[in-house]
Amino acid sequence: MGHYSDPPLLVLASLASGPKHGHAMIEDIAGMCGTRLGPGTLYGAIARLEQQGWIMPLPPEERRQPYRITAEGLRVLRAKLTTLQHFAKAGLGRLEAS
Amino acid sequence: MNRAAAHLLTRLYPRRWRERYGAEFEAFLATGRGGLRASANVVWSALFEHIFPTPGLKTDQQPRSFGVIVRQPSAFLPLAMSFTALVLVLGHVALFGAVREADEGATAHLWQLLMAGQMPVLAFFAIKWLPRAPRPTLGVLALQAGAALASMAPIFFLNL
Repeated sequence: MGHYSDPPLLVLASLASGPKHGHAMIEDIAGMCGTRLGPGTLYGAIARLEQQGWIMPLPPEERRQPYRITAEGLRVLRAKLTTLQHFAKAGLGRLEAS
Repeated sequence: MNRAAAHLLTRLYPRRWRERYGAEFEAFLATGRGGLRASANVVWSALFEHIFPTPGLKTDQQPRSFGVIVRQPSAFLPLAMSFTALVLVLGHVALFGAVREADEGATAHLWQLLMAGQMPVLAFFAIKWLPRAPRPTLGVLALQAGAALASMAPIFFLNL
């Protein structure tokens, strides 16, 4: 079984700790869960998240484009992580019971 | 990754995606680690973006007529391949006569490659264009089917 990979969720989780540009997101996500997103995968997730209004671009810094998470993005991230937490708790409970 | 490679890879994305993300994505690629894996990831993502465009991205509202769609590379390439296959068969018949050969020659292999090679292009065309403009796309698909049948007709009728 490979690393956890849900690129939009990983990007949201990375931006939850503050605005980041693409390379910083890749390093942060790799440190967080061991998944190293490819450049196309990262920007595919960024495009979809921005179009949904869950992240937004900040003014460019030199040639780098930072993004930040929006209030709606935080709400979505919290909801998804809560679901995952319930799932993990239930799964671990079953493992302990067996 | 060098800037030329970054530019080329960015060009693989659809125009409306490039209009919004092209400049920053190219800069992102140019300042990042290159390599085969990263390039393959970009190629795959660009193909994915063509087939499943990012929802909400401003799309061009140009009318998508039969004429516009038939000029797409994935539309005319199968037509050109069928036409080439037909010319090959007719050329072979003109030169050597309508004789059935026990051993398939180079012409037969080329014909098979052209006909089989257009299948993935046809599939790509249908997946990309049917959801966007069903009626003209069906027209182009009918034209492609007609061209393919035309290139098969000599084989069938002359029993090659």
